[in-house]
Amino acid sequence: MASQTMNSSMQPTDVYGGDEVSAIVLDPGYTSVRAGFAGEEVPKSFVSAHYGQIGDQLIFGDNEIHNYKPGMEIRNPMGKDGVVEDWDVATKLFEYSITSRLTRFPQSDPRSNGLNDDPKDADVEMDAVEEQEKTLEEHPLLMTETAWSTTKSREKSIEIAMENWGCPAFWLARNSVLAAFASGKATALVVDVGASNVSVISIHDGLILKKSIQKSPLAGNWLSSQLRSLFGSVEPKVDLVPHFMVRSKTPVDAGAPAQAIYREFKIPPTASFRALEEDRVLTEFKESVIQVWPGPGRLSSGTGPGSTNEDVARSQPGRVFEMPDGANQMWGLERFKVGEGMWDEKAALPVAGEIPPTKAQTIPEMIKASLGGVDMDLRPTLLQNVVVTGGTSLISGFNDRLNAELTVLYPGARIKIQAAGLTSERRFGSWIGGSILGSLGTFHQMWISKKEYDEFGANVVEKRCK
Amino acid sequence: MTSHDVRDMLDLPGSAAPRPAKKQKLAGPRPNLKGLAREVQSLGGDNPIAIVPEISIFKKRRLASRKPAAKWELKPFKNSAREDDLVLRHWKRKAELPPAPVEENVETAPVEEEMEDSTFAKFNVKVNTPKYDDEQYRSRLESDDWTKDETDYLIGLVQEYDLRWPIIWDRYDYQPPVPALDEGEGSIAIVPATKTRSMEDMKARYYKIAATMMAIHNPVQFMGQAEFSLHEMMNNFDAKQETKRKQFAELNFRRSREEAKEEESLLLELKRILARNDKLTEERKELYARLEAPISSGNLGLYSTSTGLQQLLQQLMTVDKSKKRKSIMGMEGMSPAVVGQGNSQQTSGSGDRRESSNHRESVPSSTAPNNKKGPQAAGNERRKLTEEEERVYGVSHHDRLPGGPQFRHEKIQKPITSKSSVQQQKINNVLAELEVPIRLVMPTADVGVQFEQLLSAINTLLDGRKVADKLTSEIALATEQKRLREEKEKENKEAGGAEGGAEVKVEEEREKSAAPSVKAGSVHKRSASVLSTVSDKSTKRQKK
Repeated sequence: MASQTMNSSMQPTDVYGGDEVSAIVLDPGYTSVRAGFAGEEVPKSFVSAHYGQIGDQLIFGDNEIHNYKPGMEIRNPMGKDGVVEDWDVATKLFEYSITSRLTRFPQSDPRSNGLNDDPKDADVEMDAVEEQEKTLEEHPLLMTETAWSTTKSREKSIEIAMENWGCPAFWLARNSVLAAFASGKATALVVDVGASNVSVISIHDGLILKKSIQKSPLAGNWLSSQLRSLFGSVEPKVDLVPHFMVRSKTPVDAGAPAQAIYREFKIPPTASFRALEEDRVLTEFKESVIQVWPGPGRLSSGTGPGSTNEDVARSQPGRVFEMPDGANQMWGLERFKVGEGMWDEKAALPVAGEIPPTKAQTIPEMIKASLGGVDMDLRPTLLQNVVVTGGTSLISGFNDRLNAELTVLYPGARIKIQAAGLTSERRFGSWIGGSILGSLGTFHQMWISKKEYDEFGANVVEKRCK
Repeated sequence: MTSHDVRDMLDLPGSAAPRPAKKQKLAGPRPNLKGLAREVQSLGGDNPIAIVPEISIFKKRRLASRKPAAKWELKPFKNSAREDDLVLRHWKRKAELPPAPVEENVETAPVEEEMEDSTFAKFNVKVNTPKYDDEQYRSRLESDDWTKDETDYLIGLVQEYDLRWPIIWDRYDYQPPVPALDEGEGSIAIVPATKTRSMEDMKARYYKIAATMMAIHNPVQFMGQAEFSLHEMMNNFDAKQETKRKQFAELNFRRSREEAKEEESLLLELKRILARNDKLTEERKELYARLEAPISSGNLGLYSTSTGLQQLLQQLMTVDKSKKRKSIMGMEGMSPAVVGQGNSQQTSGSGDRRESSNHRESVPSSTAPNNKKGPQAAGNERRKLTEEEERVYGVSHHDRLPGGPQFRHEKIQKPITSKSSVQQQKINNVLAELEVPIRLVMPTADVGVQFEQLLSAINTLLDGRKVADKLTSEIALATEQKRLREEKEKENKEAGGAEGGAEVKVEEEREKSAAPSVKAGSVHKRSASVLSTVSDKSTKRQKK
C-alpha cells in the first residue's frame, strides 16, 4: 500500500478542464452580495446587500450595519426583483464586497478605507486612489444577473466593470444557469427560491429558454411577512423584539410574558433599522422552526374520513423558539401553515396591505407554466434534472413537498430533484456555478475583453451574453 | 492440528523441503525492529505477531523526496480562438532549464519567450451552416412561405446557437423589415403580421436549404456514404409527421399513472401471448414431424412372398430418402425464423406470425409446409443491402423471370406485339403523334416504367375511341331508321288504308333495332352496363 497507484477508473479520462486566471465572481442578490475567486468552492466575501446611511455617509458591511447608530437608515440598492435600482450605491457596495476581502489592498477598517467617509473630504483621497491602479486591473470579472434583468442594467454593469474598475475582461451570466452548472447540469429546470423571488426557469445547454421564465414574490421575504401576520394573529400576540433592544433577560416558562430589561436610546432607532433587525430574528425563526408539509397532498387535503393532513401535522412534535427577550413558546401546527402558501394560494395567511398570492404564483403552477413554454422533447429531460437552489429552499421539507407535487402533476414522467446537501452549496449555488465557469480553460474565449468593449460599446453585452 | 501432526499420521517424513525456507523468511525482519516493537515481537515467541506497527513509512518517503519547492510563475498567455489579443495570466510551473546545455539553448531561448497559446483554443468549434448567394437563392431556394430576409435570419440564428433547436425556437423573434414608405403612394404600408413559426417549420426550412446546398456543392451521385445518408435524412424531413410525433409524445407525457400502468400491463400481456405463440408453433412443428412418419397400415399378407418383401424394402427406402430430404429442407426453412429471432424483437414477431399463419394454411393439406422457404433461405446468405444502399447502387427488384433466354427489349415491346396488327398500327399512330419512338432510345428502368404507363393509357384511349365510334355509328343508324320510318309513315298516310300486315312488320322491325338506342339516355345505360357486367351477372346468379 505504500505506493498507491491509480487504477483505470480513478484516472482522469480526458483533459483537466480547469485553467484559472484569477477571475473574480460577483453574485449580487437582494439580501447579500457574494464575491470570491473563481475556482474556490465558497465565496470568500459575503456581504449584506443592505447598507446604512447617516446623512451622506454610507455604511457597508455586516459588522457595521447591524450596530445601532443614531439616525442610521437602512437601504438596499437592489430592487425587489433582484435587479439593481440604485447604481451609484450598488457600485460602491460591489466595490466594498470585492476590496474588503479579495484584492490585494486589504481593507484595514471600514472607517478609514475611504468608502465610508464623508464624500466632502473623500474627494481628495479619491484622486489619489485613481492615480493608483484600478480595483480590478488584473482580474477578469464574472458577474451574475437575473434572467429578467433589463438591457439597461446589463449595459450599466459592463460599463462599471470596464470604466470604474478597469477589468481586463468581463462576462455577465444568468444566475439560474450558473446554479445548474453548480449541480453539474447543462440542461435543467432550475427552481431558485431566494429572498425576494422564486423563479422557475428551463435551461438547455447552458442557455435560458426565455419563454419558460416564471417568477413570483412568494420567497423568503414573503415568508417573513407571513410570519409577522402569524405573530399578530396568535393568542397571546407574539412581540417581535430584535436583539439590539434587549439589555438583559431572565428565563421564563413557555407562554409566559417576557421578563427583560430593554435598552433605551436617546435617539430612537429608525424604523428601517428595526425592520432589518427584526428580519434577522425572523430568519432565525425560519431556519429553526418553520417546516413545509412534506406531502403527499396539501396541508388542507383529507387523508381519510373526517381527518385531514392538518391533523397529522398537529400530531407531530412541536418546536420551541425563544425570542431575543426570553419569551418562548411551542409552535405546532402553525409552523406548517406559514410555508403552505407557496404551494397552495388558498392557504396563505392574510397580510394587511398586501395582495394575496394568486394561483399562478405558487411553485407547482410556475413549474407547469415553465414546462409549457418549452419544446415537448425537452420536458422529460428537464423533469429528470430539477435543480433546487436558493437559501429559502433550505426550509425543511421543501424538497419532499416539491417531489410530491411534481409526481402529482406529471405522474407518467420520471422526476429527479437535484438539491445540494450542503447548506453553503444551496445558498451560494449561482456563485459556485460562476466559480466553475470562470475557472474553465474553455471559458477564456468567451470573455468580453476591454478591447471589444472599446470597439463595440456597452451594447456588446447584449450580443455576447445571451 | 498442525501440519506436523498430519504428517505423523500419514507416516510422512517429518520435515518437508519448503518449511525451513519459510522459517527463515519470518526470522528475517526481526532484528530490524527496535525498542518497543521488538519487545512486543518477542512476546509472541516463535509465532510472530501479525500486528507490526509500520508508521515510519510516510515519514521516510517525505524525507526521501525532499527537494527544493517547485517554482511557479504567473505567465501571460493568449487564446487563438479569440479574435482580439486578450492576454490573461495563469500560474504555470517554471520550466527548469537543465544546466548543462545552456550554450545550445541560447538560440532557442527567444522562441520560448513567445507568448504561449491556450491549450483550450482547440475546443473552439463552430457548426457549418449552408451559405448561399442571391443567385443560388433565386434559382433553387425560393419559397412561398419564407422571404429571403427571414431565411437569412433563420440561418443566422442557427449559426449563433449551434443548431440547438429548442433555443432557436425559443429566441426566434423575426421582425420583417418595414418597407420603405417613400417608394410611391401605391405601396400601402401593410405591416406583415409576424408569423409564429413552429420548430418543425424552421427545421423543415433549414434542412431543405442545407440539403439543396449540399447537393449543389456535391451532386448526389458523388456523395460518400455518410454524406448521402445525411442528405437523404435532411431531404426526407417531414414536418407534419414530426408535429404528429410531438403531439403523441405530449399525450404520452400527460397520461396519468393508471394509464401508464395499464399500458405496462398490456405490454406484458403481449409478451406473454407472443411467448405462448412461439411455444405453440414449436409444438405444432413437432406434431407435423410425427405425422410424416411412414404409414404402416395395409395387409400384412402382401409381404409374405419374397417379391412382396422386396417391394416393402424399396418402399421404405424411398420413404426414408424423401424424409431425409424433407428434414434437411425443413431445417433450411427454419433458419430464417431462427435468425430473425436473433435480430430484433420486431422482426421476430412478424416472422412468427407469418410462420404460424403458414401452418394454419397447411393444416388441411397436411403436407410438408416448409418447402416454400427454400429460396428465402438461400437469399438470406447473401449480404443484405440496406434501403439506402439499394437506392445508391440502383438495385431494384423484379418479378421472377420466366425460364429460357429472352431479350429485354421484348419485354417492353410485349404490350404492343401482343395486340392484333390493326391495334398495333393504331398504337404506333398514337405514339407517332406524341413523337415518342416505338423503340425507346434509352430504356432505363424509370423510362421503361413510364413507357408502360403510357402504353396502358393509350390502350384505354383506344378502347374509349372504339366505344365512341360504335356509339356514333349506332346513333347514325338509328336516326337513319327514324328518317326512313317517318318517310314510310308519310307514305302510309298518303296511301290511307293500307294493309295491317305491313304495319305489324314495321312494328317488329322497330322493336328489334331501335329499342336499345333511340335515346341518348338509354345509350349511356347500356355502356354503363357493359362496364358492370360482372356485378350484373352476379346479381342474376343470386336470383337463380
